[in-house]
Amino acid sequence: MGIRWQHIALWLAFIVFMLALPELVSKGTLRTIIFANFLAIFAISWDVLSGRTGYISFGHPFLVGIGAYTSAILSYRFGFPIAASIPLAVIATMIGGTLFFLPALRIRGSYFALVTLAFMELMYQLVQVIRPDLTGGTRGMSGIETITRGAVNNYYLSFSLMIIIALAMWLVMKTRLGTALSAIGMNEESVRGSGLDTTKLKLAAFMIAAFIAGLGGAFYVHYLGSIAPRALFDINFLFTIIVAALIGGASTIIGPMIGAFFLTFLLEYLRPVLPGAERYFIYGGIALILYMYQPKGIYEVAKQGWSRLRAARAGAGP
Amino acid sequence: MSYPLELKDVVKRFGGLTATNHMSFEVNDGESLGLIGPNGAGKTTIFSLIMGEHRQTSGEILCNGEDISSLPTYARIGRGVCRTYQIPRPFSEMDVLENIRLGLMPNNLWQMLTRNPDRYREIELALSVGFSEDDLHRHPAELSMGDLRKLELARTLATDPSIMLLDEVFAGLTAGEIAQIAELINKKRAEGMTLIIVSHDLRSLEPLIDRAIAMNHGSIVAEGSFAKVMADPDVRASYLGGE
Repeated sequence: MGIRWQHIALWLAFIVFMLALPELVSKGTLRTIIFANFLAIFAISWDVLSGRTGYISFGHPFLVGIGAYTSAILSYRFGFPIAASIPLAVIATMIGGTLFFLPALRIRGSYFALVTLAFMELMYQLVQVIRPDLTGGTRGMSGIETITRGAVNNYYLSFSLMIIIALAMWLVMKTRLGTALSAIGMNEESVRGSGLDTTKLKLAAFMIAAFIAGLGGAFYVHYLGSIAPRALFDINFLFTIIVAALIGGASTIIGPMIGAFFLTFLLEYLRPVLPGAERYFIYGGIALILYMYQPKGIYEVAKQGWSRLRAARAGAGP
Repeated sequence: MSYPLELKDVVKRFGGLTATNHMSFEVNDGESLGLIGPNGAGKTTIFSLIMGEHRQTSGEILCNGEDISSLPTYARIGRGVCRTYQIPRPFSEMDVLENIRLGLMPNNLWQMLTRNPDRYREIELALSVGFSEDDLHRHPAELSMGDLRKLELARTLATDPSIMLLDEVFAGLTAGEIAQIAELINKKRAEGMTLIIVSHDLRSLEPLIDRAIAMNHGSIVAEGSFAKVMADPDVRASYLGGE
């Protein structure tokens, strides 16, 4: 699998640091980190599908939304315990993921991206008009049961979920399945020419992505305690997920996590200075400059910096 | 009698263009067949049809007597048929060994997840096509055209084929690289591999084949020994033009 002790040591150091964080930062910062944790989950989900296989999804909120709405409706309207509503929401999202997968059998590139965008918009419209007594229509639902209360507890919960997903995906991507998924993104015809069933591989990527998006969406709605269609099926939400994955470093696990934290904190720290939508200009500008300099994202910049440092040290040595 | 590969009255039309026009031929076990013809004769289309990358408009493609016409590409590869491409198609962000790993992968998700790659076999394949140990972790961008062809051969051989379709294996190679690839093909012939080779480099092709088929406009123009095919007036006309 190619796992080295340095990798495990780095993961452990990261986990220990994150577990100690509530002692070091304010509750307000913790709440920001909770959002970053959820964004990291959604960005990892997007990356499994789009970063690896090259099937760029513009409709990821569709999957997150199915998870969130299913769990919210089951618990809020039908009194399901959260322990049951979340697994059912994940299953519903995976069924939604299968729908999402169908266009990928025939199209890719910008056409696939547009079809997935249509999925998101369709869901936005449908949620408002079909059974608003269940979905809450345009206003959505509030007063949804939460799993736990308080910034610290929610921080630990969201971090645990994020780190379990990240570690699981890191291990999966180290296997030959991960290699094959990345190979699809590089040259799907050659994967087929290597004797592999690309339909099966793509379905696996879609199912894993849907599983993570559904799980993240369901936990997210039980953290917020409310849900509204425009907050979920929204182009800004979509681009935040995509930019987090790309700015951090697509086709890696750590990249989307770095991107999610970078974006969340960037937007948060810009808020007092630029309270309006102008913040997005700054974040767009930073993303653009970073792409021009290093299209592989912050993770690659850090990796190159580290290599240069090591080379410089080796050069300075005896 | 069944052949390793047999085409029966295969037609392929792309809109108004007939790329393959009622083609019928077979390859014998362990035979090396050369497929020649000018640009646009339909040679590569034949390969695409055999591999299932395109579906024929009519006709049958048989592998050891079994009609494989409706099978997807991976199932045909599972039956021992595989091909290389005129323009090599490596996985650009993977090194030589990782590229070969794709060819060695089982078509089974669970096994992909749970079993480790066979590093020994990856290295063995890389060395068998002429890579040195220094090349094993090189990426495609660092390889010459000859190395890219070797890489494609290694990945294709990793699928454990019994029939190989080689498309323009000598294109863009130096004389030294041609000799290296030719030696490799001869080694496979000696091992009993069935081959169909498409090449414009007739001089390099001649010693590697037992029989030749000349094509033009999607049809067979001549068939037989290389010398006989090259002496055929229709073949000469198709290459040189004129009546």
